[in-house]
Amino acid sequence: MSEQEIREGMLLAVWDEPPLDFDPDALIRRVEQKKSRRRALVGVGVATAVIAVASFALPGLLPRDRDSQLGSETPPSSSAPPSESAEKKAQRIGERLAETLGVRMTNFKEVYSDFRTVSTTSSPNSPSGQRNAADDPDLHGYVHLTDGIGPTALRVTGGKLPYELDLCSGAVYCHSSTRSDGSVVTEAEYAEGAQEITRSVSVRKFKSGYVAQIQSFNYNPASGSGLRQTVPVRVGVLTELVTDSSINWE
Amino acid sequence: MRKADEQGFREFAAANAASLRRTAYLFCGDWHTAEDLMQSSLMKMYMAWKRIKDLDNLIAYARKVLLRTWLDEKRRPWRRAEQRDGELPDTADATVDPDNTSAKLWARELVHTALLQVPPRQRAVLVLRYFEDLSVAEVAVAMGCTEGTVKSQTARGLATLRTIVEKLDNSSGRVAS
Repeated sequence: MSEQEIREGMLLAVWDEPPLDFDPDALIRRVEQKKSRRRALVGVGVATAVIAVASFALPGLLPRDRDSQLGSETPPSSSAPPSESAEKKAQRIGERLAETLGVRMTNFKEVYSDFRTVSTTSSPNSPSGQRNAADDPDLHGYVHLTDGIGPTALRVTGGKLPYELDLCSGAVYCHSSTRSDGSVVTEAEYAEGAQEITRSVSVRKFKSGYVAQIQSFNYNPASGSGLRQTVPVRVGVLTELVTDSSINWE
Repeated sequence: MRKADEQGFREFAAANAASLRRTAYLFCGDWHTAEDLMQSSLMKMYMAWKRIKDLDNLIAYARKVLLRTWLDEKRRPWRRAEQRDGELPDTADATVDPDNTSAKLWARELVHTALLQVPPRQRAVLVLRYFEDLSVAEVAVAMGCTEGTVKSQTARGLATLRTIVEKLDNSSGRVAS
């Protein structure tokens, strides 16, 4: 089969070519439609991408306080670093208290903390229905410990109280002192009719009105059970904890 | 697009649509697919018209686009999976010269059976060389390869085609020249 035959064969192969119904205008219209569809598709894609990016980025840009509303203006704490959230601050204070307690009381088998912030609930020691200053979330948590008797906990609270604490009434021991930074530390112990101390408390009130309070009970305040003869930690240690210079309470 | 450019494209498309469809038919062996390929190629050219309208050899560029479009189409799974139900029954046309008809039928056989069995790139080289009458250099430009590759693909394509035609002739009793 020669090249010429192939050439002729190909020419003959198209002899029964059907009539061509080709309209350039229709083709141009189709291309324009395709272009506009593609533009619309790109627009939708870009809009979707922008929404997706915004939905991921926005929560990171807004304040992350658990109970605060998105976008609300939260004034930065005067003492804590501005980048530190209230949750992180609570966690930091809890860890530091547990560490100091572990060093101070070597007879404890296990010491760990569980802290959180509460901005709308009433303070555990406040009269029912009274709320703390709304713009400053309360600190609330427990330093859990296990001694020779069993597991129990210290209750730790922090926040601006709308009322004055009267610690000395009913106390078997009550003492107040002013520290160099101007804060007032009040420590008290209660027997509540028993022979042993059933509650110890150490309170530090700062000039700003912020009150840090650590209490020890003859039961486990975290669970409400585990009743024992006396408190696991006496007021002296509680005062050491509440006045620990490495803890930035406010 | 400006009206003048659009008019330029319109004229180019109207003048070359038939020729492009014939080439596409020899590539794919089916007039409907050939028309699709031709239209797809012209659409691509229209979208790039602003950039290509001043090229020296627009028809060579169009052939290049057609070839690429066909090779792309062949790669698509749905195109490969095309199923045919069977052959259409042949019916004699009493109005035509029998000798001429025989030659035409053989030519159709050449395309439908022999040429379609040649690998795609070799087939493209054969069509561009022997149907479009392009030089080796022009085919190399259209296929985006070297002239040496065109020559080797041509030789292989011819060998494959001759083998297939020989088999066809032996089975149908026609003596290959």
